[in-house]
This record gives sequence, C-alpha cells and structure tokens, in this order.
Amino acid sequence: MNIRTTPGNAKPWPTAPNSVSVAVDPIILQIVEGTLNSIEAEIEFAIERTARSPMIREAHDYRVGLFDRYCRKLTGRSYSAMPNAVVRDFPPETMKPGDVFLMNDTYQTEGSIGHLPDLCSTVPVFHDGEIVAYIQAFGHHDDVGGRVPGSMPGTAVTVFEEGLAIPPVKLYNEGVRNDAVFTILRRNTRVPEMLNADIDSEVQACLMGARRMAGLFERFGRAQVEACFQTILDKCRDIYRNELLAKIADGEYAWEDYVEHDGVTDPKLHKIALKMVKKGGKLTLDFTGTDPQSSGPINWPADYADGAFLIKWIAPILRNLADTPERAAEIHVNEGVCEVFEIIFPPKGTLITPEWPAATNARSFVLLRCLGLLAGVVAQAVDGRMPADQETIRYTGFFGKDENGKSFLSREVLGGGSGGRYYADGNDAIHIVPDSRNQPAEFTETRFPLLVEKLALSTDSGGAGYRRGGQGYEKHYRALVDCRTIVTADRVRLGCYGLNGGKAGQPFCVTVDAEGAAIKLGGLVDGEPVLAGQVVRIVTTGGGGWGEPLDREIELVQRDVVEGRVSPASARDDYGVVFDADTGDGEPAVDETATRQLRAEKRASRVSPPPMIDRGEGFEKMLRGECEPRMR
Amino acid sequence: MTLQDSSKAVSRFRIGIDTGGTFTDIVSVDADTGAMRVTKVASTPSNPAVGLVRGVNAILAAGGASPDTVVGLAHGTTVATNALLQGEIRSLGLIVTAGFRHILEIARQSVPDGYGNSYFWVKPDRLVPLHFVREVGGRLNFRGEELRSLDEDSVRAAARFFRQHNVQAIGVCLMHSYANDAHERRVAEIILEEYPEATLSLSCAVLPEYREYERAITTLVDAFVKPHMDRYLKRINDELGPVLRDKPFLIMQSSGGVASAAQVVKKPIMTALSGPAAGALGSAVIADLAGFPDLVTLDAGGTSTDFCMIEAAKPHLTNGGSVGQFPVRIPMIDIATIGIGGGSIAWISREGHLKVGPRSAGAEPGPMCYPNGGDEPAITDANVVLGRLPPALIGGGIALNVERARAGIAKLAAQLPGNMSAEQLAHGVIEIANWAQANAIRQMTIQRGIDPRDFALLSFGGAGPAQSAAVMELLGMKACIVPPNPGNLSALGLLAVDWRTDHIVTKVMHEDDIDLAAVAGHFAALERDATATLVRDGIDPKQIRITREADIRYAGQSMEVRVAAPSGEVDAAFLGRLIDAFNAGHLRTFGYNYAGKQKIEVVNLCVSGFGLIERPDMPKLATANGAPQLKGRRPVYFGDRFVDTPIYDRPTLPPGFTLQGPAVIEEFGSTTVVFPGQHLEVDPYGILIVRAAGGKVAS
Repeated sequence: MNIRTTPGNAKPWPTAPNSVSVAVDPIILQIVEGTLNSIEAEIEFAIERTARSPMIREAHDYRVGLFDRYCRKLTGRSYSAMPNAVVRDFPPETMKPGDVFLMNDTYQTEGSIGHLPDLCSTVPVFHDGEIVAYIQAFGHHDDVGGRVPGSMPGTAVTVFEEGLAIPPVKLYNEGVRNDAVFTILRRNTRVPEMLNADIDSEVQACLMGARRMAGLFERFGRAQVEACFQTILDKCRDIYRNELLAKIADGEYAWEDYVEHDGVTDPKLHKIALKMVKKGGKLTLDFTGTDPQSSGPINWPADYADGAFLIKWIAPILRNLADTPERAAEIHVNEGVCEVFEIIFPPKGTLITPEWPAATNARSFVLLRCLGLLAGVVAQAVDGRMPADQETIRYTGFFGKDENGKSFLSREVLGGGSGGRYYADGNDAIHIVPDSRNQPAEFTETRFPLLVEKLALSTDSGGAGYRRGGQGYEKHYRALVDCRTIVTADRVRLGCYGLNGGKAGQPFCVTVDAEGAAIKLGGLVDGEPVLAGQVVRIVTTGGGGWGEPLDREIELVQRDVVEGRVSPASARDDYGVVFDADTGDGEPAVDETATRQLRAEKRASRVSPPPMIDRGEGFEKMLRGECEPRMR
Repeated sequence: MTLQDSSKAVSRFRIGIDTGGTFTDIVSVDADTGAMRVTKVASTPSNPAVGLVRGVNAILAAGGASPDTVVGLAHGTTVATNALLQGEIRSLGLIVTAGFRHILEIARQSVPDGYGNSYFWVKPDRLVPLHFVREVGGRLNFRGEELRSLDEDSVRAAARFFRQHNVQAIGVCLMHSYANDAHERRVAEIILEEYPEATLSLSCAVLPEYREYERAITTLVDAFVKPHMDRYLKRINDELGPVLRDKPFLIMQSSGGVASAAQVVKKPIMTALSGPAAGALGSAVIADLAGFPDLVTLDAGGTSTDFCMIEAAKPHLTNGGSVGQFPVRIPMIDIATIGIGGGSIAWISREGHLKVGPRSAGAEPGPMCYPNGGDEPAITDANVVLGRLPPALIGGGIALNVERARAGIAKLAAQLPGNMSAEQLAHGVIEIANWAQANAIRQMTIQRGIDPRDFALLSFGGAGPAQSAAVMELLGMKACIVPPNPGNLSALGLLAVDWRTDHIVTKVMHEDDIDLAAVAGHFAALERDATATLVRDGIDPKQIRITREADIRYAGQSMEVRVAAPSGEVDAAFLGRLIDAFNAGHLRTFGYNYAGKQKIEVVNLCVSGFGLIERPDMPKLATANGAPQLKGRRPVYFGDRFVDTPIYDRPTLPPGFTLQGPAVIEEFGSTTVVFPGQHLEVDPYGILIVRAAGGKVAS
C-alpha cells in the first residue's frame, strides 16, 4: 500500500503570495471579519439544529472551519480540520461548483483528522468561476464501525479495529450525490440512519456557509476581500509576535510529560519531549526525543503539512501570556499563527509520528498532553506566569440490561478541575469542550437503572497553591441491576501538574463497590462487572495548583474548608492553617497564633525552594515501578 | 379588586404603563370610542412606583378624566429583571438533597465561548455561596416513591442555621420533587415553624420539571426577586391612592400574558422579562394590522439591540431562556441581544483597526453631539453627521452639537488609512453596525430554522428606524415597518394582552406504557388549577380558554419539543393526534423526524389558561388629514455624497401616502430614514412600510 505523505517543501496545494494587490479598506475589513465569524456561527447553529448524534448535539463535539483558497484558516474561535488533503488529491482547477468532499483517514488527511469518528465534509467556494475559499465541518459521530460500539476500542492495536477509514473522496459531483459512498458508509456503521443524517446535516450547513462566503466576494470584489483575509491573518501573526512572544526571553527551554498507559501494554511513562527555542519573532518547537509509537491506540499522527494542525491546536495556550484574561479572550487564532512557529518532528515511528496502521482512537491523551507540555515549557520561560495543568479527558459509562431486560448504554464525558492561575483559583468541575454539558442526575435515574447518590466536588482534589487548582467531580452511582462499567481516561496515576510552587492535582479514579471491597480500576476498562446495590465512585482530576500554598490568604483557606473544597487536614498539611476545635455549626475558626507558627516552621524546614513544576506523588510512584491502580 | 368594576358605565379607560430605564411610557384607550392617547414621563429608578403613578395621573389629566373612570391598569416592569441584573445577591439560602450540596458549583460543567477559554475563564460567583447551601436527608426516586424518609432534624437544623445567619429568602430543591412534592412541602412547614419570617420558594411550585440544576436556579431566582417584587407592589399600592388602588392591577409576565399582582407576588419569576414581553405583544398587534404576520423585531436602544421573532402574529416563546447569566426555565419571550445600540462607540483597537461597540456612551455621558456628551464618537454621532437624524433631541427641545460630532469622527478618520472624510467614516460606522445587526438576525433565524427573506423587519426603539431599512435590504427581507408611536409599542402591547397562567407537571411515559386515564387525570388537575387561578383574579369563567401542550421526545433522546395537545377526551385518537403533532413539530424544529420509525416518550404535560380581554381597535388615521407637510429639506449623506432630501413630519402623513426615497420622516422620539430608491407607504393605521428599491418583494 502506498501511503501519500507531504514531500519536502513543495506542497501539493497553492502557496499564498507575499503581498496583496489592493490596500485594505478599514470599513470593509470590519464587515468581512464580523461576517466570517457570523458565517462560522451560522454553520454551527445549522448543524446543531439538524444533527442527530448525541456527541454532536449534547457533547458539542463538532468544529467548523472557513479557509481561503490557500487552505489558510480564517476564523479563530476554535480549532478545525484542514482542506489541504482534499486539494492535494483533487487539484483546484478540477473542482466544480456543487462538489463536496468527505474524509476521515487519520493518515491521509495531512494531520487534520485525529480519529476515525471525525468524518469531515469540505465544500469549495466559487467566485467568477474560480475557487476563492473552502468551508469545512466535522463532527464526532457516534459510530463508524470497528471492533466496539462507538468506534473507540481502548485496546486496539491497528486502525483496522477502529472502523472505516476514508481518504478524501467526492461525496457530491457538481451537485449530484455519490450514492456509492453513502452505501459503503451505511454498511460500515452500527447507526446507519443517524450517521447518514449527520453527514447530510453537515453538508447542507457547509453549502449554506459557502453561499454566504460567495456573497462577500460578490459584494466587495475578490481583490478587496482577499486583502481583508490577509489583514486578518496578519493581525493574528502580529499579536503573537509583538504581544505574546515578547513576554518570552530569547533562549532554549525544554521539558517532557507523559501518558501513563496505552490500554495494551503494562502501565509505563510514554514520554513526549519538547525543546522550545525562542528567537525574536519565531518559536521553534522540537519534539525530538519523544518515545516510540505505542502498541495501543494513543498515537497521534501529527507530522503533516509542516505541523499546521498541531500549531493551531497548541498555539491558543500562549494566549495566557496576554496582559489580562479579558485580552486573552479577544485573541482569535487563525492560520496567521503558523508564520510564528516552526515544528521539528522526530523521525517516523514515535507517539506523534506514528506509522500506519498504528491505532489512534485514544490520541486525545497525547494531543491534550501536548497542550500541557507547551504550557509547562513556556511557564519555565516566564517565571511560572502560566496556568497550571488541566488537560485530560475522560469517558465513563455503564451498560447491561435493565429490569425489563432491555439493553442500555449510558455514556458521559465528565469534566474536571482546571489549573490555578496567578489571578484566580482554577475552575471546579468544568469540561474543556465549549458548551458541552453533563447529565442531570434526574435524567440519569429516569433513563437508566442507576441511582446517583452523590454529585459533588471532590474534596482536596485540586492541587494546593496560592491559587489552588479547581476541584474535580465526585460522583457516586448505585447500580440497581447487575451491569458493567466502561472507562476511557488518562491521568489515572499522574495528576495534573502544579506550577510555580503549587501542587499537582489528584488523579482520576474509578472505584467499584466503594462501600465494600473497593476495587480501583485503571483508565482503559472495557466492562468491569458491577453488582446490583454496589456503588461505583468516580473521582475526576483536580487542576494543578499555582504558587506557594503557604502564601494563600488565611481567609480563603478558611472559606475552602467551610465550603468543603479543602479538608481541615489539607488546610493544616498543605496550607499551614490550623483551626480551633469545631464549634459544631460548620464554621471553624482559625487559630491564628498556631497558624503563624506552623507556616513559619514549614518554611524553615524547606531544604530547597519548591520546583517550578510539581508532578505529584503518582509520578514518583511510577518511577519506582508502583503502578497502582494496575490494569485489569 | 375585580374586573366586575368594568361593568360600571363610568369606567372607560384602560391604561398600559411600561416602565423603562429612562422613560415611563403610558397609553390609554377609551373603551367606548377606541380613542387612544399616549404620553411619557421620566422614570424614577429609586422608586419606580412614583413615576408610574405620575404617568397615570398625567394621561388622565390630559384627557380630562378622573381616576374612577379607569377600568384597569396593566403594567410592564423591569423590577425583577433589574434586581437580577444589578442586584447584589446576599442573604439567599438553598436547601438540597444530601449528596448534592455542590449542585450550583457544578452547574452543567460547561464553559462559554470558544475553544481554550477554560484556561482563563473565571467561573462567576454562584447565586448562593456554598456556606448557605444546606443538605437535608431523605430521598425519592424518579417515580416519586420514597426511598428514604425525610430527615426532619436536618431540616430543623438548616432552618435554625438560616435564622441565625439572617438568611431570609430560601429556595428548596429536592431530588424528584416534580414527581412528588411531599418532602418539599414538609420542609416548608418545618422552616416556617422554626423561622416564620423566612420567604420560601419551593421548586415543586416554581418549576415542577425534571433537571435538578435548572430547577434549583429557577427556584432561587424566584426566591431572590420575591422581596423586591413584594416591596415594589406595596409601594405602587401606596402611591396609587384610594381610588386607583381598587382598580384591577395587572402585570405582564415573561410569557406574554398578564396576571394579577396577587398571583405575581407568589411567583415573581413569571415577570423576569415583563418589559420585553410587552414589546413583543405590541409588535404582534402591529404584525396583524400591517398584514405582515411574520416579523423579526428590532429594538435598538442606547447600548444594545434586542431581536424577537413573531410568527403568525404570535411572539415566539422559549423554555430555555435566561436573564443575564441565570437560566430561567419558564415560558418566556424568545429574545436575542447584541451589544450594539445608538450609543455604541467607534474606536480604534490596539492593532489599529476600526471597531464599533460593544463599549457604549450610554445615556451618561452620551454621544459627543449631546449636551455634556462624551469624548468618543458613537453611532448616533455618525447618524447626525450624515444628516440622517435631526440636529435636535426629542421634539426639537434640545439642540445637538453636530460640529462636535463631526470633529470627533474626523479625528478618528485621521488615525485610519485611506484619507477618509468624516462623512465617509460616519457612513462606514453605520455600515458596520448594520452588518452586525443583519448577522445577528441571520444567526437567530438559522437557529430556529427560518429564512429571513420570508419575514419583514419591525423596527422600533430610539436608535432603530434611522438604519433598519438598510438592514432589511442586507437580508433581503420583505419590508421594514415602523409602527406609529414606536416608543410606545410596549405600552400598547399591555392593552392587547390576555390574562395567562401556566401549569406544568413532569410525567415521563413511554408510548407503549401510556396510561390514558392517568394522562386525563393530570390534564384535569392542571386545568382545574389554571381555571381556579383565573377565577381568583376575577375572570368570568365564560371568558376563560384553556390550552393543553406536552413536551415530547423520541425514546432514548433528550431533545423535547413542546407541541399543542388536542382538547377533549383523552383516548387513543387523542394519543394518535398528539404523536402526529410531535412528529410535525420535530420536523419543523430540527429539520427531520422519525415518524413511524421510533417510539415517543411524553415528558411534561402543560396547561395554559387564558382570560380573554377585549382588545382595543387600533384607530385608523383620519383620511381627511390633507396633504403631507414637508417640514423642510436638508442634505443627507447616502452612498458617497450628500443628497438634497425632503424631511417630513410623521403626524402629517395621510394614509395611502407614498414616496420614493430618499426621505427622512421625523416624529417625537424617533426618526425613520427611507434610502434612495426605496419605496415608502403609509398604511391605514399610520404604519410606515418601507420596501426595497424597485419593489423587489411584494408582500
């Protein structure tokens, strides 16, 4: 099998010229910029209204992208796929109005698709008979075949277990539907009607977006609109260069972080290495030294198109260098950012340069780790003025037969705590996918044979710090029938790291029979038995803490204890805050003398200043070869 | 305080009062003659009751009428909204089921806006600090069956805790209370024994619907606004004086119906969007009269613009709305808002790009052209520089400083590339604002599966009609219509509204297991509640109309669609028609359905009771009004140059009058711009109808 790759510098898609032909009109610029953002939102609304998969409708796991004719992403509210692979296989001069393309092959989409459920539609936009832009949308669809329902087998070793892989193909030819593609799709999924309808929804939304985009060209003319595009891209580049990179002193900075299991081999530290070289307005990210690809599904094929997807994925984290959080929120990340970065990939065969047919469905472990990794490297360059870690994702669920013998499957993506910042504590129990929602307990109980005994913040789960990490969830389910539980999660041994003297947060943990034998599960579990009446306890990751915990204001520690976020023991051990004996009304009073004394003692007993990054106890244990919980 | 007063021959005047931030608008209608009168007085924010009564007296005095000729008063208020948006929330308590103390902290775990924002987003403070959230033992399941009995000691301890900490407003939200209210009712009894001064809101009464977080928040919002509403209504009662005090006093609810003060005080959350609901109802009246039953309304104020959809002359309602950051799950007018209004400032970003809004000059200091105005040019300044707004404020009383506005815009132009004149930049600023409004309308209509080209645009509010005809053309909408007295549309809505009461119960039933007798029983109970509520308010039972609805979803999904349920017998035919209605509603809402392929699940049963009110006939313009008065001409900037443009005084325009743009139509408090080539028609009611150049679209 011949796998296409990107050769050297000559790209199989057009390269943008260095200059534009007309001066940009400041008024049209604002109209074009506002309308691009609106078109993106309009396509999203259209998909949300008409798509059917719960992952799209409720977990909001879908992304839209608008691109110029050089495949450069124009909008920046979120990441998205890229049209480069389509252009590579279908040269623009051969495309016709009414053509629509489909793809999801993780090895043939120039790094833009990470796992197979993300089927992506691409629509070219024409003006005066020529292509002027592309519109794309992909959603995380519920099932594209493969070994397990949901197409995310935690123990897969090849892509062949993960479902149907589609290199770029024509889904519509000049407006005529390519029924063969739909026929193949429908035959290769467990939910043919839903998948078919989702694709229809995404295609129709993209076509609507394409009409809107064409309208901009008709109204303002190609030269002026393209001049606006260039200005919008330059703005992003210049903000990165002049505002964000300016905070980092020229030099070399390096660090590494790990994924601790791959579902197939024994738990171990799978290393992702990063050396960052900052020189003037350029940031070079060198991933050389990253561990070999895994036998399990955690690989991320990222080494395509000069890392354009990876750059747009991880660059947003640098927005934390902005002067204020409000300013950070204003900065949209588009293709302009790619001019600021250079990526050096290790040779083929590593976690981020895997070779086909390595499995990739749990690539989010590596992909999310890269975000925290870059944040950690940058933190060392800016005296810790970055947020502590929060990057991990976890799916939990139950399946079996209910009291009436009907099959049920309950799946939920629970959030965790976010990292402390120099200006605020981390957020409690949030999910990083925008607008994603949890399941109300009253919904769960109505639908599934489960009783939610507790839905709370997990005390002490956030890392201690001057600004502590946000707390993760503590959710207790009582099974009302015999059933099985499923888990896909990392950070089950390694906590989210703490920064600048802050402590790491607590790892993720699922315990079966929490009131009895209390069996702790690992992070990739395909069906642990649960008996009727047993409680399954899920604790999600707390965010890393930021800054020296002994510096935290005493009244804030007191409030945390009153509110159940921090235990009195942690207040004493981590924060050096001592309370009077509890008066019984839930409002413990601080013993100020004892607190002053304890804090002084703790400071005096330090042999060395705290490290910039604290990885937590789990890391030390793994170094010692203690890998609790073990894989089962 | 009953409607029977209206039978007295002397009672003729119905009065609507809409209290806004700056002005209180009053409309009265003479039930005998249909004559309508409008006025406005300054609002009195420190005690809005004062302005309200002053306005009522002003309109009575203007018509030479005495208070005893009043049939009733209907009021749109922002007291609840303002309390929510501006109020400092202290001293609010929450009681929840053991295990759920962090319900507000967790919420639905979502982070707003774009990808990566979770790093720097800071979760806003919760409505109730954790310290004041107390757990009580006891547990029901989703069928309402008791799994563990209520731990009364824990309730008593919570009540004492709240009393000790002087927490007076308390929300109670226990798991599955929508299925069985016994635990919550018992909690209320115990609290009132321990702490009789407490103000309580029970989730089983406020929103008996599943989803514990949304129910808790809605209940808390109700508890929070209760003392505010209570105080406000007492003040109104004091200010009204002996005669008016005994007249029926109705308050607009967010759902677009009115209820008595006595009902509102029990469940004040019903009024969270009282003011905007009145505006939507007024728009619906105009939609009907003007022959454009499908409308998007555009209400541009100083700092923001509200959009609302009217379909078949009825405002869209939603159960998924919010007020500020608070999700409020009761039926309310479906409104979208963007941060661009007449006071929005044009400025230059740190990257050197021109921006318009969301910063606003507001009323203080106001646009540069205002007396003592601000130092940055606003959209109003741009309109003044272009000659589209008259160089004087409301009614011509206060002169505007056009030169100051022009200098401010010229200064901005000098900082931008392209050597723009002040007029070119002013024109560009308006263009940017128009596109922003057009994009907002596109997003709103796409979310609701509607094509804006099938709709007309209804523009009102001080800052709307000067630009809206251009927005209409950007969207290819059917027409831009401007109602008579556009500043008084909300007050007008108050006179055209029925009494309304909404009742709901959650009963999840799979299609295969629906017990029709039970459904009939639930509907009957809800209908009894609705009727009793209206009768208590003095509605003649003959004037009561009851409608049924149900929230239904496909089994296994979570997207419910609210559909009308047939009246009459609850039998197999009823069920069949209900399922048909759901399949049709699902197709309309989401663009597809599974008719005949998937079973359905009934989730909520809802009943609305309406007390029908006789609507005033909108007076038609007198045809013998004579020729329209040309007020004058002035140069107005369109496209790329000033055009000598006729200026008309709106009250002099006769019905049937037409003109070709450009033209400017001025009236008290509002100015309508007809762009070159556009066609204006004055309809029999005095409604301005502007159509696109060339009359592209006939309505």
